[in-house]
Amino acid sequence: MRIVITGMGAISSLGYDVESFINGVHAGEVAFRPIQQIPQVDQLRVQIAAEVPDYDETERFSKKELALYDRFTQFQLLSAREAIADAGLEFTGSLANQNLAERTSVIMGSGIGGQTTQEQNYKRLYDDKAKRLPPLTVPKLIPNAASSHVTMEFGIKGPSFTIASACASSAHSIAQACMMLRTGLIDVAVTGGSEACITFGTVKGWEALRVTSNSTCRPFSKDRTGMILGEGSGTIIIETLEHAQERGAKIYAEVLGFGMSSDAGNIVQPSSDGAARAMKAALKDAQLNPEDVQYINAHGTGTPQNDPSETAAIRDVFGSYADKLAVSSTKSMHGHALGAAAALETIAVVSALQRQSAPPTMNFTEADPKCDLDYVPNKARPMNIEIALNNSFAFGGLNAVIAFKRWQE
Amino acid sequence: MSEAIQDTPQKEVLDILAKYLGEDVDADKLTLEANLEDLGIDSMDVVEIIFDLEETFDIDVPNPGDVEGGSIKFDSVQDLINIVKTLIENK
Repeated sequence: MRIVITGMGAISSLGYDVESFINGVHAGEVAFRPIQQIPQVDQLRVQIAAEVPDYDETERFSKKELALYDRFTQFQLLSAREAIADAGLEFTGSLANQNLAERTSVIMGSGIGGQTTQEQNYKRLYDDKAKRLPPLTVPKLIPNAASSHVTMEFGIKGPSFTIASACASSAHSIAQACMMLRTGLIDVAVTGGSEACITFGTVKGWEALRVTSNSTCRPFSKDRTGMILGEGSGTIIIETLEHAQERGAKIYAEVLGFGMSSDAGNIVQPSSDGAARAMKAALKDAQLNPEDVQYINAHGTGTPQNDPSETAAIRDVFGSYADKLAVSSTKSMHGHALGAAAALETIAVVSALQRQSAPPTMNFTEADPKCDLDYVPNKARPMNIEIALNNSFAFGGLNAVIAFKRWQE
Repeated sequence: MSEAIQDTPQKEVLDILAKYLGEDVDADKLTLEANLEDLGIDSMDVVEIIFDLEETFDIDVPNPGDVEGGSIKFDSVQDLINIVKTLIENK
């Protein structure tokens, strides 16, 4: 069964829609800025992040909605609205639409869920000594709130849920959605993920792990100093080719397959073996040879640990052909959006297939002997791209890789 | 253990480090010159050790990448003692 992408939506530090995201990643726009949303920012060692710029929730949602929507749900709704409109799908009204609603799933990823709500209420309770919390606190912070509100806003009635696997959450979501399409359980999936955890407590937690940079994110560069936390949401609409063609949908790209693995190693140290097994599984599932791939959107966090490990994994899978691959990390521009990362990076991959251009790895200054691939440094590269992989490797050693193909009938 | 080693903050730093020695590493390997990796201390242990040092001495240890000139490094026992001494003096 062939599966195709027929709609996309994005909100990120690069802007409020897919167009600004794609233009940004191809133009090499590094969207890191001083943190705006944390009042206690002066108490942080890391004071920059990839925040959605000048985001004012009151401009986009009513007071009543904001009582229900954590920031991560807001982002998810904004990207889902764009993707569903882009795909031209409706789930209410006609009998056909209502039938489609029951054969459509919402499968979203989030690493943490409603962290803003969690922290605001802890502060209220422990710090301000409040006697009670707002009644919608629990439904607002649950990690499935984003998926649920997408189902409610659009009337989508098929099996829906949220997947949490830290930095690979939305990759696992897309893979899960593909599996459900393949089994015939559904015809359409609204999938991707959302994250909004640039909060005082979360940034403090990342600081303590010492994997975030306070300057910039330089994936694969010798002088890299860590990742830059990001936020936002990406949604893609995937459906069976048959369903897409029947309704005359425009098609962006094909999802050829996916591979997943567990390191069974360390909760934070990545294993190149686990990453390699996920890539091999993706190639096998997509019925590809290593030489069929031209571009990899790397996990590429810019930490001392990830980048050499991912490089070794790519060498393991691709052998000497690895030298011919273009490998880039768009996290050098939109930051590490954790549970939303793979969804946003999928959109970057689709744009690479459409534009026939590999997005760059920005802020690259110096080659590292441990990272010896072609990372498309600092400038997008026009090139033939028929097949591309998107790598996602999570804390906890949970890996997911998805293979995409340039659309042709 | 020499007299110098028993001075503050050396002794406290060494006491903290002792908790993170690799299972097959003898305690007498814990000298000022010792390399942390040779003591069976991995990069995640270093992160935990720095947290312990920050809590014990009420200091904030910067990341090497955030400080110009490579003055901060976490390679040897002496590196950690130097960082703690400098940060205590500059408090």
